[in-house]
Amino acid sequence: MKSTKRVKDFCMFGLPGMICFFSVVIIPFVYGVYLTLTDWDGVAETKKFIGLRNFGGVMQDREFWTSLILTFEYVIVVVLLVNVLAFAIAYLLTRGIKGQNFFRAGFFTPNLIGGIVLGYIWQFVFSRAFVNIGESTGWGLFEISWLSTPGKAFAALVLVTVWQLSGYMILIYIAGFMGLSEDVMEAASIDGASGWKQMVHIIMPLMMSSITICLFLTLSRAFMVYDVNLSLTAGGPYGTTQMAAMHVYEKAFTSRKYGLGQAEAFILFIVVACISGLQVYFTKKQEVEA
Amino acid sequence: MKGKVSGKGIALALTTTLLAASLSGCTFGFASDPDDPNEVVEEIPIDTSVDTFQYDSSLRGTSITLLNSKAEIQVALEKMSAAYEEKSGVHVEIMPVTEGDSPYTKVVSLYNSGNPPTLAILDTTDVIALAAEKAQDLTDEPWVAEADGYVTEIDGRVYCFPLCIEGRGIIYNKAVIEGALGRTFDPAAIKTQTDFVNLLEELKAAGIRRPVSMAKEDWSLGAHHLQYIYELYDGTTAGAQEKVEEIKAGTLDLDSYDRLHDFLNMFDILKAYNVAQGDPLGADYDEMAIDLADGKTAFWFNGNWAWTNLAEAGATATDEYGFLPYFMNDDESDFANQKIQASPSKQVMLDRIVADEKQQAAAKEFLNWIVFSEIGQQMLVKTCNVIPPFQNNPYEPTDPLSADIYDKVHNDQAFNASVIVPNDHWAVLGAAMQKYLADRSDKEELIDSIGDYWAQQK
Amino acid sequence: MKQTTIGGNKRKLMNGLAVALLVVIFIAYMFPFLMVVINSLKQKRDIIKSPFSWLFTIKGLSFDNFVKAFTQMDFLNAFKNSLFVTVSATVLVTLLAAMLAYYIVRNKNKLSDLTFALMVASMIIPFQAIMIPLVSIYGSSLHVLNHRLTLIFMHTGFSMAMSVFMFHGFIKGNIPIALEEASCIDGCTHTQTFFLIVFPLLKPIISTMVILNSMAFWNDFLLPSLVLSDKALLTLPLSTYSFYGTYSADYGTIMAGLLLCVIPILILYVILQKQIIGGVVAGAVK
Repeated sequence: MKSTKRVKDFCMFGLPGMICFFSVVIIPFVYGVYLTLTDWDGVAETKKFIGLRNFGGVMQDREFWTSLILTFEYVIVVVLLVNVLAFAIAYLLTRGIKGQNFFRAGFFTPNLIGGIVLGYIWQFVFSRAFVNIGESTGWGLFEISWLSTPGKAFAALVLVTVWQLSGYMILIYIAGFMGLSEDVMEAASIDGASGWKQMVHIIMPLMMSSITICLFLTLSRAFMVYDVNLSLTAGGPYGTTQMAAMHVYEKAFTSRKYGLGQAEAFILFIVVACISGLQVYFTKKQEVEA
Repeated sequence: MKGKVSGKGIALALTTTLLAASLSGCTFGFASDPDDPNEVVEEIPIDTSVDTFQYDSSLRGTSITLLNSKAEIQVALEKMSAAYEEKSGVHVEIMPVTEGDSPYTKVVSLYNSGNPPTLAILDTTDVIALAAEKAQDLTDEPWVAEADGYVTEIDGRVYCFPLCIEGRGIIYNKAVIEGALGRTFDPAAIKTQTDFVNLLEELKAAGIRRPVSMAKEDWSLGAHHLQYIYELYDGTTAGAQEKVEEIKAGTLDLDSYDRLHDFLNMFDILKAYNVAQGDPLGADYDEMAIDLADGKTAFWFNGNWAWTNLAEAGATATDEYGFLPYFMNDDESDFANQKIQASPSKQVMLDRIVADEKQQAAAKEFLNWIVFSEIGQQMLVKTCNVIPPFQNNPYEPTDPLSADIYDKVHNDQAFNASVIVPNDHWAVLGAAMQKYLADRSDKEELIDSIGDYWAQQK
Repeated sequence: MKQTTIGGNKRKLMNGLAVALLVVIFIAYMFPFLMVVINSLKQKRDIIKSPFSWLFTIKGLSFDNFVKAFTQMDFLNAFKNSLFVTVSATVLVTLLAAMLAYYIVRNKNKLSDLTFALMVASMIIPFQAIMIPLVSIYGSSLHVLNHRLTLIFMHTGFSMAMSVFMFHGFIKGNIPIALEEASCIDGCTHTQTFFLIVFPLLKPIISTMVILNSMAFWNDFLLPSLVLSDKALLTLPLSTYSFYGTYSADYGTIMAGLLLCVIPILILYVILQKQIIGGVVAGAVK
């Protein structure tokens, strides 16, 4: 009796979602992993099994590892900045400030601009606006376009990513803050806890589930950065800002080494999986069970 | 509460204004400028009264697809397909390659989806990659004879239809040069590198401090500039290919290869007079067109496709623009200082895997219609605004850049060396060229990068 | 007593500072969007030469770009397609993900653990890595590409992981099991409990997910471009393709097209924001 009910529950609640997920994501992914073991180039009619040779190729592709290290640096900076900023802004926007809904609509706008327009608009900002400021003030920082020197192009990439991702994370943090009971906040302030103490000891632990989610999302998205990379710097100047995902794509389709690109994508996946796994494990431990 | 209202209010107000405006098509504020470059989308009428083309009536009702990777002629191709359908009864659906996709990626994904286009407009390297597996042999098609010199052969067979000729070199704006120098300018009088430098110095003295624009884009640097080292070997496809093979095999010492040094000398000259010299990697492509049209610069290294940008920047079809060669040295008898590169650039491939016999026949008829029918000939030149690679096409392109290439092709002032390099050549070596352009590497490092790249291609 | 007053004053000051800071950051955030709005009204030459200039200094300012974008995109048809795909996929994924997440939270077993772990891991699969396998399975083997329903199904599948993840976190954190136990005593079935008791409590996270998902579906480019090629089926972002040339992009029209695409999302956001604010969670958790 009980077990049939369980099966029924599973079919009702679990199965439909799982079918969608497995057939669209997992099956193609497994097939993709199989392709890394073949010499298939994306077009040929036949595939030959070549074992791990593609993975040997990955080891020799120095640029892949350079791009991976660069991606690490980028991810660290982006994850920190995005979360601090989004958390702070979301906090301020749920404190009953005058016109907060108007503000929320504004902070939402980064989500609305994507693709080539995103890169184009920001190119204006970095190569024109900043250069104009540089010309009129004489500040060396803005003298030439940020996009033409490796270090500053990297900074530009970080800045745009922070702008874009934080817009998204603000939404999630806001939902988290809305979920906090007003009583907790009230109680905290009556207890005489100062603003900072209140934040660290009372609010942060309660917000841990939102923080886990946002950390995870920023982490994975930063690792997978592709659109912004392509439309803002296109890997330039001279290939110094090419992140791992873009390198993988270029390998598969520009260099026409499909199997190698696929194998690199798989390695990237494993790396990101390990890191996010660790992150989720550690932050989950901090969460307060409701 | 108030905030809630204003947030919503703004969005709604914005929406209604924009929607209302777009629906009613109202013009706001100032009257539009009669000289506005954006409004000169003049349509050249096509004469359809004469049509002697023999249509195969058994193909009526057939439907084929054409994948278009040349977005600027999307609308023109749709018009062409409509004109063809009216006459032949064959429907040609034009599928665009969309933003963010490379043509190759798109065609690969379409083949994988089991739904490949019957015809696909691709780059030559794409056709080479696909020919053996997917392409129909077109060697015996009637149009091959008309495209003499412009067909790409793969293992002695023809697998693709050349859609247009594109040429590149140093674009000049005649009015600007004459205005600055106060005398007439005859491009034919510039015969050597030194002549060119003298002209640049004169312009400098006349107030155009840095008369040259050069794009920072890797495709421009890696393909359009750098490939001169192969193409200018002797100006033939075979010669260029021979040099590529020698470099790949390591039998050609790059350090002592004269065409490479000639090329770098010319590149250095362009660099020295680059309008964006302070920040060459911060140069903006669209702004270059405006600078040339406005006379801030006099030269722009680019190809005839740049006309779209120049027209947007305010140039009109009656302005005098043309091409100078990429001067390699001071030898007047060197062909490199006399001719500019003009070669077929977009290739149409016919699928043999999925398309059925009728579709293949219809696709072949469509290609022949472009070459042999009065309407197709006109539309290729007038509607698509490309330079036709077919000798029998009597129509001449109208924009100054294409017209100049057309003249040069027909007066033996152009050479055609279509070198085939690996598909990532432009990206990888484009990056090395960027570094050199920005003075962050020297000649030695650049030459090493070129050597390393080819060493990896074995 | 005294301390609280001081605290109150201090808080006011802090609030003032916070608002000032917010305004500054706000302007920085809004800036690119404003640029799109302003430049969508200009001609290309003006966009390039003076992207930052305000409207009144530009000659030939007009809504021409909007008219052009509207007609070239075949706006109404593309809008219809986008609306159908986005609404169906959003409804589907919200419902299925909430149910699946609920199942995973309440049924601790190997299968649910494994599914959840796979989902979390799958969120970091680069889309490029499954793009080709995906089209070859659904195209060459199943022949179901070029249908809007396929796109809806794929959207649902791709956003399932992230949605389950979000619902999972929310249900675990904010929906006390005591509530369900109580309803169990009242004799509700699981299905009834879920739809009558749990689902309404999910309102805040539902509105967030509806926003995030519908926005992603509405603006997505890569997946629809792989699935749909028939012109009559194109969604809004796909329909702007003709504004991009190989060497020259029609920026004014692109920006106008972008605005035409995002305005519906903006309206949805403003409406749903009320829901987020009016969230009933605070009351329910007590």
